[in-house]
Amino acid sequence: MAPRISSIASRLAPDAAAVVDRLRRSTVEIRDAGRGSGCGVIWASDGVIVTNAHVARSRQPTVLLSGGRKFEANLLAQDAERDLAVLRVAARDLLPITIRDSSTIRAGELVLAVGSPWGLSGSAALGIIHGLGWSDGVRGGPWLQASVRLAPGNSGGPLAGADGRLVGLNAMVAGEMGLAIPSNEIERFISQALRGRREAA
Amino acid sequence: METSSQGTLGTLAALSHDLATAVERAGRSVVAIDARPRVPTSGILLKPGLVVAADHTIRREEEITVTLEDGRTVPAKIAGRDASTDLALLKLEEPRTGAAEIVGTADLQVGHLVLAVGRTKGNHLGASLGIVSSAAGEWRTWRGGRIDRFIRLDLSIFIGFSGSALVNAAGGIAGINTTGLARGLGITIPASTVSRVADELAAKGHIARGYLGIATQSVLLPERLRAKLNLAGQTGLILVTIEPDGPADKAGMMIGDILVSLDGAPANDISDVQAKLGAEFIGRDIAASVLRGGALVPLTLRISERPSRIR
Repeated sequence: MAPRISSIASRLAPDAAAVVDRLRRSTVEIRDAGRGSGCGVIWASDGVIVTNAHVARSRQPTVLLSGGRKFEANLLAQDAERDLAVLRVAARDLLPITIRDSSTIRAGELVLAVGSPWGLSGSAALGIIHGLGWSDGVRGGPWLQASVRLAPGNSGGPLAGADGRLVGLNAMVAGEMGLAIPSNEIERFISQALRGRREAA
Repeated sequence: METSSQGTLGTLAALSHDLATAVERAGRSVVAIDARPRVPTSGILLKPGLVVAADHTIRREEEITVTLEDGRTVPAKIAGRDASTDLALLKLEEPRTGAAEIVGTADLQVGHLVLAVGRTKGNHLGASLGIVSSAAGEWRTWRGGRIDRFIRLDLSIFIGFSGSALVNAAGGIAGINTTGLARGLGITIPASTVSRVADELAAKGHIARGYLGIATQSVLLPERLRAKLNLAGQTGLILVTIEPDGPADKAGMMIGDILVSLDGAPANDISDVQAKLGAEFIGRDIAASVLRGGALVPLTLRISERPSRIR
């Protein structure tokens, strides 16, 4: 009997492509004067974008949406220790990413990273979750550790579960492992940053 | 997330869920072993109270501890170790019920999706995903150990993942992964080899191997001599050391002799010698011939068991 290929393999490819497509539309590219580009994630439709502090270093980095629109963003807050920054662009119709509670992630789950490794916009990588914890020789944490191939330019881009919901923000490469900031940490940072801003206003 | 709801999940999400479940299932028998400085390594709870690990990761003879799935850390002792297959067996001081769900590697083919499941620092279950990149029949390691199948992996073997379990998509453990046998590449020692070696280690503490008491070096044989003596192979093995009172010494072999045949087969390189050093050859007399002074000299070798001091 000839070996048969079950339908799962043929269903996987379009499924993965659909998830990637959805992620791309909520991923932005961030350029800062004279530096290589990184990425950011659309957090809210009214222009709130989250990225790494090491990607958005100036007060007004440039944000490029996947559709080609370009904005000069305002840096609202940053935390160099946690490597997070929040920006705002003057738009009210953005497609925000769906966020998942990062404490529900299990080792072995598939993850997708979208970003601009080596400047290649909208590139996707597939990997799996290795664990959630602290990494040897790496400051800070906890990190979402994923066995996924990342490169410079993935920083600030989304790490999402197989259903496309955000579980982390790619921030660093440690050996063969990609390290992402868990979505729960991002949520905490953003709510503090936005609250602080309202109080200051 | 229930299996029954998979109809409504995307295929990718369903696969992701299955993989995480496979990791969780196999992870119940994956332990963390503290037997070297800095980073712990992984091991598999093979039978109640018995853990199998990659031998090269066991760097201490004493004060070894094993952290189980439930978080308990239990002292363990080395029950036996075998560098030739890179396997070590640890006995937990507190025997425990429960053991790995072992499946064979016979059905693993190139391209099959597999996971490496290990337990890392802080008792975190970790996983790596990839495919089987090579699968072939029985082979011998560079130290002469016999491994039932050659399974090479295309997946990341992270630090602490020598001793991790090779897990199939259904969550069954098909072998133990190590980077100690193929220049740092990820290799799986199949479950059948693991249980064969573990049984012998449990019974005797070591793997019995044949012994000749020689050290050799491969040399090219002169064309003229080969033609004259009708020798098939281009190379032979020159004897550079002969252990006093070892089998070769007793058989009358001398330093400078060139071994050209063993048990009726050509001896072209060291693998031809290792093929005759399995436990089944111990105590047997085998025919050998050496080149000495341009002539073939037949000898009879009685293979003994490798003494413990050089095991």
